[in-house]
Amino acid sequence: MKKTKEKLLVLFLLLVTIAQAQNNVTVSGILKDAANGETLFGASIFLKGTTIGTVSNEYGFYSLTAPKGNYTLIVSYLGYAEMSRDIVLDTNQKIDLEIQESSTQLEEVVITAEESERVNIRSPQMSVSKIKVETIKQIPVVLGEVDIVKSIQLLPGVVNNGEGSSGFNVRGGAVDQNLVLLDEAIIYNTSHLLGFFSIFNADAIKDVKLYKGGIPARFGGRVSSVLDVRQKDGNSKEFKLTGGLGLISSRLAAEGPMFNDKGSFLIAGRGSYAHLFLKAAGEDNSAYFYDTNLKTNYKIDENNRMYLSGYFGRDEFDFGGNFKSGYGNRSGNLRWNHIFNDRLFSNLSLIYSKYDYELEFDSFEFDWVSSITNYNIKYDLSYYVNDKLKLDFGVNGIYYHFDPGEINPTSETSAINPLKLEQKRAYESGLYLSAEHKLTDKLTANYGLRYSIFNRLGGQYLVDYQNDLPVVYNSTLGIYEEGIEIGETYYKKGKSVKNFGTFEPRISFAYQLNDDTSFKAGYSRTAQYIHLLSNTTSVTPLDVWTPSGKFIKPQISDQYAVGYFRNFSDRKYSLEVEAYYKTVDNRIDYVDGSNLIGQNTIETEILNGEARAYGLELLFRKSKGDFKGWIAYTISKAEQRTLGGASGGPGINNGNWYNSAFDRTHDISMTGSYKLNDKWTFGANAIFQTGRPVTYPNAQYAYEDLTIANYSERNSSRLPAYHRLDLSATYRPNRKPNNKWKGEWVFGLYNVYNRKNAASISFGQNRETGINEATRTAIFGLVPSVTYNFKF
Amino acid sequence: MKSIYKLLSLVIVGITFACTDVVDVDVPEAAPRLVVEASIDWEKGTSGSDQVIKLSTSVPYFDQLINNEVVGASVKITNDTNGQEFVFTDQGNGNYTTSGFVPVLGQSYTLEIVHNGEVFIARETLTSVTDIAEVNQSVEDGFNDEALEVNVLFDDPADEENYYLFRFQEQGDILPELLDISDEFTNGNQMKVFYEKEEDEDINQTEFESGDIVDIEFFGVSEQYYNYMQLLIEQYGSSGDPFSAVPVPLKGNCINTTNPDMYAYGYFRLTQVVKTTYTFQ
Repeated sequence: MKKTKEKLLVLFLLLVTIAQAQNNVTVSGILKDAANGETLFGASIFLKGTTIGTVSNEYGFYSLTAPKGNYTLIVSYLGYAEMSRDIVLDTNQKIDLEIQESSTQLEEVVITAEESERVNIRSPQMSVSKIKVETIKQIPVVLGEVDIVKSIQLLPGVVNNGEGSSGFNVRGGAVDQNLVLLDEAIIYNTSHLLGFFSIFNADAIKDVKLYKGGIPARFGGRVSSVLDVRQKDGNSKEFKLTGGLGLISSRLAAEGPMFNDKGSFLIAGRGSYAHLFLKAAGEDNSAYFYDTNLKTNYKIDENNRMYLSGYFGRDEFDFGGNFKSGYGNRSGNLRWNHIFNDRLFSNLSLIYSKYDYELEFDSFEFDWVSSITNYNIKYDLSYYVNDKLKLDFGVNGIYYHFDPGEINPTSETSAINPLKLEQKRAYESGLYLSAEHKLTDKLTANYGLRYSIFNRLGGQYLVDYQNDLPVVYNSTLGIYEEGIEIGETYYKKGKSVKNFGTFEPRISFAYQLNDDTSFKAGYSRTAQYIHLLSNTTSVTPLDVWTPSGKFIKPQISDQYAVGYFRNFSDRKYSLEVEAYYKTVDNRIDYVDGSNLIGQNTIETEILNGEARAYGLELLFRKSKGDFKGWIAYTISKAEQRTLGGASGGPGINNGNWYNSAFDRTHDISMTGSYKLNDKWTFGANAIFQTGRPVTYPNAQYAYEDLTIANYSERNSSRLPAYHRLDLSATYRPNRKPNNKWKGEWVFGLYNVYNRKNAASISFGQNRETGINEATRTAIFGLVPSVTYNFKF
Repeated sequence: MKSIYKLLSLVIVGITFACTDVVDVDVPEAAPRLVVEASIDWEKGTSGSDQVIKLSTSVPYFDQLINNEVVGASVKITNDTNGQEFVFTDQGNGNYTTSGFVPVLGQSYTLEIVHNGEVFIARETLTSVTDIAEVNQSVEDGFNDEALEVNVLFDDPADEENYYLFRFQEQGDILPELLDISDEFTNGNQMKVFYEKEEDEDINQTEFESGDIVDIEFFGVSEQYYNYMQLLIEQYGSSGDPFSAVPVPLKGNCINTTNPDMYAYGYFRLTQVVKTTYTFQ
């Protein structure tokens, strides 16, 4: 292990030394929004008439190196007016830049450069989608709640398991294969109210980036995707209040300068109150959520800035007083940006995050508490070596603590014995180096390597099984059963139970045919060491995270992708076409009849399998003008196979490949917004998806006077196709230029033609007639909504 | 524990705009199989000599379950220790009976069925059951704290793992309610199960009221049969809802030695059972 680290360090030093060149000078600085002082991520900054350019990083930092001379520096960012500035590069210099939102200016500027949401022709980064919160806010949504997780499902290659299910699925991957980061903190559950809303308050979010593949080497730990969500820093120019009043929930955010203009803050809160109406209507059941976001930053000096951010969210359910449940995420992140010099930028982060859920059963007189906690330290550096080479490198370490559950009786008379499931501990670390390298004027490469280490730590008992097999095949009955326990071993705290190390190469190329067209290709390997155990159709808040270890191996994914990217008609339109193929090793699945609740020995319920997915994605976008929008189409296949392996037997589903629950043959989304005039803007979504794979009965028989269904092969049938149309209209009343108060009404219609999309179809016997029936559950029919948003 | 998911889906349906309706669905059709309902239940305090085994075949899911009795099969049970054989007589209506069965607690038995030239074999051990300590009624317990429920209390033996099956049926109802429970979280304690009915206009179901009579059967079952019934009950109650496990083929213990792929549905169980009735006050 040590040797690897040394080798990487040597490699890095070599690259740095090679890269020094004397006649060049560097201009660097921070790019901000002129109106609110928010740093801008992903803007293009380049020197006119050259191929020298860069993109601002997450903290707005940019650095450009060029031969000495006179240049015109151009800054371009979608939604902002292009800015140009003449500079004399004779010595290294620091220039902080501010740009104006285009809507606040006259339409005199023609935007000519690469921008964030439009296709980036030159960068080898592919399979990435960035959506600005402003765009998300224009997408019609159910119940008027702007929802980041639902918005990304309008992109090709992203689906979920239907209304009322948590999370999202990327390129045939499971929900737990997404790394969801809120200001770098790992979020374990993205949903409020079991998936009806996302935990991200759009008023507190600056931007959202989704990596569906080609995940940069600085990210690790999940095999499907990275959803990188960044909170706003807070307005550093003036105090602002924004808020919204909706039918289900309301929100309020305050932001403004602080520390004598050396910093700013943002505090945002959101809460639902629909349960109050339900209570008033005599409904015994209730559900509500709330969340708060906090962010503040302080500029120590030109080269040092501190950031503190936090999130706390909670959901509470009460089912007739007999069953209560609550869950939520909380996270905090302290960051230190340090600029070593005009070409070397660094960020150190200390991150904490925790997800927990609790259940209280009055009927059975017990409660249950479960959680996952992690502490993460991260140090990332970017070195802008010269105009051809940029290096990113860093290290990180995460300590996990898993508490799968503690059951306690809640009354004297309870029959339940207290039970504490074994606590689990693990340490995950990563070390990476990657280079963005302009090989020729036409060819750019991005190559890097991540080395990840996972150490399952002791401090718990582990069961020993006969022949080391936690699952055995009963060949007489043809079923999988728990292995035979022969004893228990205690692993001391701090002692390693099992170690894993994975080299994760990431490489991609962009070949630019001309200014508007490029081909890209990439390969990436990613490893995932923690897994969400869920044998239910939808991911629920009650699913348990568990680390790799003696019995569960890390998931390893290899993904290959090729793409064609093109801008049309003065870059009004863009087209992205990507094809991908990926495999995942060690994808666990659950044996028939597995029971995961209150299970101390999860390993007795699972088998190690594999998954594969392939598809073709098209995204056609119009990103300029009064009418904007996109059409996304995906044709894909996602399957898995789980053989018996050492446990014997044919495996799950007789060892045959079966559709994974996230397989959708066709997925079409169209979304558009039309600005009629300064007062009215209209939006629409249309969605069509192949129904999700489900398991239907293929026979019935009488047993114990009941009709019992026999089910066919796993996921061999499909729900009916899912489709719907949503509309929205935004009305901004006359605004007096001097009036600080700016309000808008958003009217929405979700599922306009009131299609009863099946969230599920269940089969059972009608208890009155005894006849078998198929019952469809549809979550949302036509849902109208109205929201009032304000800013002052 | 599985009821957590059931509750969750009820929460979803109850709180949101969700609606449910009965729809027509095309389902796959599998070839018919033999169905074995060999429930050898020895009621405490009786000789247990009269026993019935029912044989039928499976039919497509939406067909009517009629005319599917199996006649002409040969059925016998053997005591695995002393080799005593109990031959069951074909009654011509799918039932095979004996009046000479000798139940022994903890004894292993083998069932053999020969049907259409195929031989089906199952082996199971007769499991004992503890006594019911008390049966009472309450309102505030159960899922709904305003509805009547009947409670059954029993003392779980501390020094062993125990698996139980309950069968409740209100007199006049066409269908029973089954409940599986183990002492996994309650070993050695007094355990309580309840049966409550929710008002449901769709199926013309009302809450319990004074005068209603419920038949209660309390079985001691083997771990393997418990696992089978747990899955059967779960899939019967909630297959396909978003918070239930993906439904799977249900395999019992009746294997086909002639053609192993064509195992029989159903189960050969041997239980001790306590039966009682309760009349709501």
